[in-house]
Amino acid sequence: MENLDFARLQMAFTLGFHIIFACIGMVMPFFMVISHKKWLNTRNPLYLELTKTWQKGVAIFFVTGAVSGTALSFELGMLWPEFMKHAGPIIGMPFSLEGAAFFVEAIALGFYLYGWNKLPEKFHWFTGIIIGISGVASGILVVSANSWMNAPTGFDYVNGEYINIDPVQALLNPAWFTQALHMTLAAFVATSFAVAGVHAFQVYRNKRPQLHKKAFKIAVVFGAVAAFLQPLSGDLSAKDIAERQPVKLAAMEAHYETDTNVPLYIGGIVDEEKQTVSHKIAIPGALSFLAFGDFDAEVVGLKDFPADELPPVSVVHYAFQIMVGIGTLLMIAGLLYFISLKYKSLLKRKWYWLFFVFLAPLGFIAVEAGWVVTEVGRQPWVIYGFMKTSEAVTPMPGMEFSFYMYVVVYLILALTVTWLMRRQIKVLNSVKE
Amino acid sequence: MLYVVLFFLLFSLLLYVLLGGADFGAGIVELFSSPRDKRTTRDTIYRVMGPVWEANHIWLIILLVILWVAFPAYFNVIVIYLHVPFVLVLLGITMRGVAFIFRHYDAIVDESQVWYNWMFRISSLITPVFLGMSFGALISGKIILAEDFSSYSFADLYMLPWFNVFTFLVGLFYAALCAFLASTLLIGETEGEVRKIFSRKSAYFTIALVLLGFILIIYGYVQEVLFIQDFIHNPVSLGAVGLSALLLIPLWRAIKRQNRIASRYLAGLQVVFVLFAALYAHFPYIIITEGKELSLLEGLPPHSVIQNLGVMLLIGGGVILPGLFHLMKSFGMIKIFKTGEDEVGQ
Repeated sequence: MENLDFARLQMAFTLGFHIIFACIGMVMPFFMVISHKKWLNTRNPLYLELTKTWQKGVAIFFVTGAVSGTALSFELGMLWPEFMKHAGPIIGMPFSLEGAAFFVEAIALGFYLYGWNKLPEKFHWFTGIIIGISGVASGILVVSANSWMNAPTGFDYVNGEYINIDPVQALLNPAWFTQALHMTLAAFVATSFAVAGVHAFQVYRNKRPQLHKKAFKIAVVFGAVAAFLQPLSGDLSAKDIAERQPVKLAAMEAHYETDTNVPLYIGGIVDEEKQTVSHKIAIPGALSFLAFGDFDAEVVGLKDFPADELPPVSVVHYAFQIMVGIGTLLMIAGLLYFISLKYKSLLKRKWYWLFFVFLAPLGFIAVEAGWVVTEVGRQPWVIYGFMKTSEAVTPMPGMEFSFYMYVVVYLILALTVTWLMRRQIKVLNSVKE
Repeated sequence: MLYVVLFFLLFSLLLYVLLGGADFGAGIVELFSSPRDKRTTRDTIYRVMGPVWEANHIWLIILLVILWVAFPAYFNVIVIYLHVPFVLVLLGITMRGVAFIFRHYDAIVDESQVWYNWMFRISSLITPVFLGMSFGALISGKIILAEDFSSYSFADLYMLPWFNVFTFLVGLFYAALCAFLASTLLIGETEGEVRKIFSRKSAYFTIALVLLGFILIIYGYVQEVLFIQDFIHNPVSLGAVGLSALLLIPLWRAIKRQNRIASRYLAGLQVVFVLFAALYAHFPYIIITEGKELSLLEGLPPHSVIQNLGVMLLIGGGVILPGLFHLMKSFGMIKIFKTGEDEVGQ
């Protein structure tokens, strides 16, 4: 492998790590403030206990997300200096706004964590809301910077120079809305089911079920609702990609031959050499319909794109299958939750809780898979159609060492955070009711 | 608008050096405390820095974003040639951040605290040292701007410019500055015996800082580091350092009287003077490479970008600064002189 490959691996690994913490940091504050609100309304001490436990979780995840985010903002330049040299000024607006939103979040977090019994109750609760809102705003802004790489606008490219820069147009690039919506919903789905799963496990083990059922309920509602909205947002994304990045769509579907009335492949094994897909389930005309709203629409196949501009097809196709598969499963889980609201006997079944335990990590796997689709699917470009990833990489050799170091450090960090969460729950469960 | 951008660049640099520095310094003070005092120091740091430490470090991100948006050519040189020390800085920032939060938010308090504590203390020391070394590399004139990267060795391009005696002295100087800031700040947050501990610490670190400053300047002068030579020959810079030295007198008196407020602001003011002195002599040529001085203002992006960034910074600043001020005031980091009056009786 070359330097470029290791730089890409490092970027993927550190981003993949950061995304998990960023999602939790975005969404968990909402659970926390709802529990907090219930405490203020009902004065049921269980809610206070839950709020304070979640607050510790928020603090740990926020800081891990913040330091890995700091590392990323350096890495953008350190790994891709040529990219940042040209793209930095163009996508400065989302990043400077994101900096402000992140700052607001840190200030609000300072107030919230240290404000118990010091600040007026209502104001204290309100700072919790600010944490959540500014977290989501940060996420949307960063995704908007990423979407610019998929839909570069707001400049003219003349003789290798990026001129006539319009930062507002770059921020509001054609992909920003669909991508930001999809990611925000994904953050809610993934975090909700993960948190719900953790608490479902405690209910399953019959450890303080009263408390954990309350926690489960707060968390799972967000996930269930977001899981139902996600396919709609996915449809918007697909139609957008079909128009702007047809090669990415073709890679997602492993669609090689240009044709009309194109079937949608579910699963399948891609042979990149022979350019065929075996063992798939084909739904006639569905891809044409999903991409263009017309069963007879023409979808351009991979064979009709220049060979040196193709992304790694199998990676993108498999990642896409994983994302959609998990998304569908989580939607069913959401449905199950809504059914259990009516048929309360379900809540007494062990398998009900075990099912949600099983779902806990899946949302994040889907998030990672989704980012693989969008990032690997854009290759070999870093700025779609304008700059190749290989032109952007740092001239410094030896990226493999840096990559291995990050893998070791972040794995230790991930294990430690998991271990800390276990200890939080252990302490929570040890309290006698 | 360029001036607005420059203002925010220098402002966030200053606040990162001051607030982030005090934050690193707190860990250094703890590292150099006797085992008996470590516990007290740890608790004081948590009480004082807890609510604000995360915000303190966001100035670094703001600084970074301003650099890459408004000064891309400049940012490009930094990220290519300082890759290695930056990796070390990031490692330090990561270790430090998580250690701080782990040691205060771990639900079970047991022997793992020993790990968190040492991780926090050591990374608090090495992070500012590597930050200082990175800055030292920018001004020491050893960076080679390569046209053809393959004709140089890894060491020549990516190691030697930042890994030498001069940069190490700059690193130590910055670490001492951090410790000086932190100990002076902590004086105002404690009472009685504990306050005496920090007063003593503050005195030690002031001495260390002044000594290191002298050694740094003399070494730089002897080694003919352009930045230091110009610095010495520049009356304004020298004047600023002189003023900063003069401020030591009231500072010492304030520390001796254990004055909560005055010592804090005096220490901050001193840093402002030192930073001003360092930047003024060479502004805007902050990167000095082998044979070439790079201006910050070279290769600026189009007007529209600067315009947009300026507006964003004004809006962002308008939201952040009042919030930050309120946060610091609520938790006692910023003390208005009025609240200091009740100190007289003590």
